[in-house]
Amino acid sequence: MILLTTPDDTRAFGARLAKLLRPGDLIILNGPLGAGKTALTQGIGVGLGVTGDVTSPTFVISRVHRGPVPLVHVDAYRLKDFEVDDLDLDASVDESVTVVEWGHGMAERLADSYLEVLISRRDDDTREIELVAHRGDWADRLAPLLPQT
Amino acid sequence: MRDEPLVLGIETSCDETGVGIVRGHTLLADALASSVDEHARFGGVVPEVASRAHLEALVPTINRALDDAGVKLADLDAIAVTAGPGLAGALLVGVAGAKGLALATEKPIFGVNHLAAHVAVDTLEHGPFTGPAIALLVSGGHSSLLRVDDLSAGVTPMGATIDDAAGEAFDKVARLLGMPFPGGPPIDRAAREGEATVSFPRGLTTARDLQSHRFDFSFSGLKTAVARWVEARERDGSPVPVNDVAASFQEAVCDVLTMKAIDACRHAGVQTLVIGGGVAANSRLRAMAQERAAKHGITVRVPRPKLCTDNGAMVAALGSHLVAAGRRPSKLDFPADSAMSLSLIGV
Repeated sequence: MILLTTPDDTRAFGARLAKLLRPGDLIILNGPLGAGKTALTQGIGVGLGVTGDVTSPTFVISRVHRGPVPLVHVDAYRLKDFEVDDLDLDASVDESVTVVEWGHGMAERLADSYLEVLISRRDDDTREIELVAHRGDWADRLAPLLPQT
Repeated sequence: MRDEPLVLGIETSCDETGVGIVRGHTLLADALASSVDEHARFGGVVPEVASRAHLEALVPTINRALDDAGVKLADLDAIAVTAGPGLAGALLVGVAGAKGLALATEKPIFGVNHLAAHVAVDTLEHGPFTGPAIALLVSGGHSSLLRVDDLSAGVTPMGATIDDAAGEAFDKVARLLGMPFPGGPPIDRAAREGEATVSFPRGLTTARDLQSHRFDFSFSGLKTAVARWVEARERDGSPVPVNDVAASFQEAVCDVLTMKAIDACRHAGVQTLVIGGGVAANSRLRAMAQERAAKHGITVRVPRPKLCTDNGAMVAALGSHLVAAGRRPSKLDFPADSAMSLSLIGV
């Protein structure tokens, strides 16, 4: 479990996480309104070195940011159920890092293995982050990010 | 004919299929078909569903607009269509349809920028722009401040949201308060019955933020503050004063939007502020902008609510402007551009 105090901390964590990512990765962000899902994705965008401002994609559903490894930023807030083809993505998911906000229960089918990031807002306004590896080699790759005990 | 071009405009960038017809600055028809009902069946917006709905609605909506305007395709001077930004598949339907129409009727075609069209639509209501203006564009997908010197030449972006769009904040706060989508109208109604008793944060307004983000917006922190406030009430078991929360939230959004818009006008030495996009239909935003602008001798131009939300008339209005200005039509192979830059008025 990782504790983050400010939105800048959330962005910095996203940038650190980005360093462990590679093409084809799927990350699912879950957490309530205002948890910091977009802030975390902004950090991932910085870490990947992609172009264009990363802002909330709720209205446009998905946005593709070009870069050495492109970032596909999807927001499933307004979607009930979707297949990747429905998104009319102008990029290949295999060659990109795909981040899906509000993807709980929906985005899992997009890839065989994925990283789930659970963000919760505590009463003192700090954020609690839990990383859940779903198949693949996520657990090994995440080791550098976890607090040393 | 060139002064008063007859132009048909097609808009399919999101969930509305809009077809408008204008003659110069005169609105002749504004036909609209929405796929919102269709999405309700699916329980949310699905891009593929939007594209299919546009495909089914496009021809009937074009025919309805022609009937309403009492004109024939052969009478048109040009066809205009939203080339971007928007949902890629949805845009494609309008662009392909407009190209087919242009090819079949041998009329020139203009692929135009959706956001610039939100500015141009006000010419249908308040006549041509007489000098430079600052435009505040606020909708579910956009929150931008632009400098508009000549609509046929281009606009200069001054600032934009760094996280959520203003309309998106309305939608999300409405959901928090148990109100339906889209959130703008129910929050506006509830706010009229309430008082702005809670002081919610105004994003990017501290002295430090103003140095680097003077004309940018942030509504993510406001949304979170409202969520926290409501949750704290619920934890205590006390009732949530929905109308007061709606009024307080709306006040915070309108405060920042109008403050920065007027600051932009003064910074640029511009006397006209034009407001467009769905959030421009908000009654508090309209009133507050008028009130604050008047103090600085700035004129506010904001079209009637129906022309603020997405429609075909705005695309026709911008097309007509480009024809009258002698702009060259787009080449037939122009693409739909989901991320079209604001610096492009047409393609």
